[in-house]
Amino acid sequence: MKAITIFREILLFVMLVLLQVLLLNRIAVFGLAVPILYIYFLIKLPYGRNRFYVIVSGFLLGIVIDIFLNTPGMNAAATTIVAALRNMMLSLFYPKNEYEDLVPGIHTSTAAFVKFTVMMVLLHQTLLFFIEAFTLFNFTSTLLRIGSSSVLTIVLILAMDSLSISREKSG
Amino acid sequence: MKNLLAFIIRNSSWLVAVGLIVISFYLVFSYNSYQRSVYLTSANKVVGRFYEVSSKATAFIHLNKSNRLLLERNAQLEAELNLLRTYLSDTQRDTLTTKAFLSDSIPASRFSFIPAEVINVSFSGPNNFITVNKGSAHGVKPDMGVVSQNGVVGVVLKASPTFSVIIPIINPKFRLSAKLKNSNNTGSISWDGKDLITAQIGELPKHEVFQSGDTVLTSFSRIFPKDIVIGYVTGQALSKDDNFKTLDVRIATDFYSVRDILIIKDRHYDEQKQLENSIP
Repeated sequence: MKAITIFREILLFVMLVLLQVLLLNRIAVFGLAVPILYIYFLIKLPYGRNRFYVIVSGFLLGIVIDIFLNTPGMNAAATTIVAALRNMMLSLFYPKNEYEDLVPGIHTSTAAFVKFTVMMVLLHQTLLFFIEAFTLFNFTSTLLRIGSSSVLTIVLILAMDSLSISREKSG
Repeated sequence: MKNLLAFIIRNSSWLVAVGLIVISFYLVFSYNSYQRSVYLTSANKVVGRFYEVSSKATAFIHLNKSNRLLLERNAQLEAELNLLRTYLSDTQRDTLTTKAFLSDSIPASRFSFIPAEVINVSFSGPNNFITVNKGSAHGVKPDMGVVSQNGVVGVVLKASPTFSVIIPIINPKFRLSAKLKNSNNTGSISWDGKDLITAQIGELPKHEVFQSGDTVLTSFSRIFPKDIVIGYVTGQALSKDDNFKTLDVRIATDFYSVRDILIIKDRHYDEQKQLENSIP
């Protein structure tokens, strides 16, 4: 791991947290769909990053979001579970890769990246909304929330990733 | 023993994951409205400051609207003042009634108000909170009522020295006894989580008559003075059981634009609570 990679990851972490708490969490399209973009951090970690690192950073990400949103534990739980399963899901769509520092991106492998993103986001949103709705509210409204928020989040992630200049190509 | 150690080392990352997940769920379930640590909410100093700065920046956008609302409120108070002045001069003109009305010492008002400014609102999910910029150093304590110029906002949940977190009507954990203006039957206000402008008043008797537009007021509670506006009836809602009537209520406070609020300080709160709790 190079220092520059670590620096870039910390920057992405901070940016995503700020974006989520200051902007995205105040958006509720039709009172339902909330874009939950911070999961993009886990998607953009390099292929070969070890599981321990992924899990701990996922937990930290979730707990920081929780502190800002007054929802102790909810985001942390969902994000930690997703982080634990992340490498497994990655190996479903990407063959064993020798470039360990390569980052998944839409420019290098469109189909695989889209599938990977859809799976990560769906899992995360499902966990999040069910943890949140544990005691309250009807099932259909929860499903509607999950569906609409996932679509919105996936579109946002894909749009953001195609905008970013393809660093992976030169790598 | 050796095998056990090897097992632990081989699966250490999974064990860490399980540990962290357990910690998270512990936080979720121990999340009890009244015993949460102040360090894990927006009432803590760092997060509070952060939201305060961001709120100062966005305040400019809402300046026009707040200004208009203040002017309206001002006009309303002016009218009221005028009315009272006329009334006072009328009573003072009649020497017979003056003595009856003016006692020699005016009893101190039971309620006083602490003005505060909203620095953060979160309402994208069911767990909604409002953070304001006054805390225990200004006399704010948990369980105090909070109103805006239009009506009830919520109840103080937690106070740190400089900030406090309010649990608003639009949180499923919020309960408040309430009644219709022209009736003496009390019900209970709650929120079903569907949208930010409608709450429900439940536990009303079946025979309760209502018209849409009826005002919903606070009834007796230790937290709010009597007869503060909560909202206006919009229609009948689906009831959870057949023994009671449930009505939809349009909340008087606009949570999308609420900025300036008043925290209600009740001089007799502690005394009343102590007395009521002393009964076994």
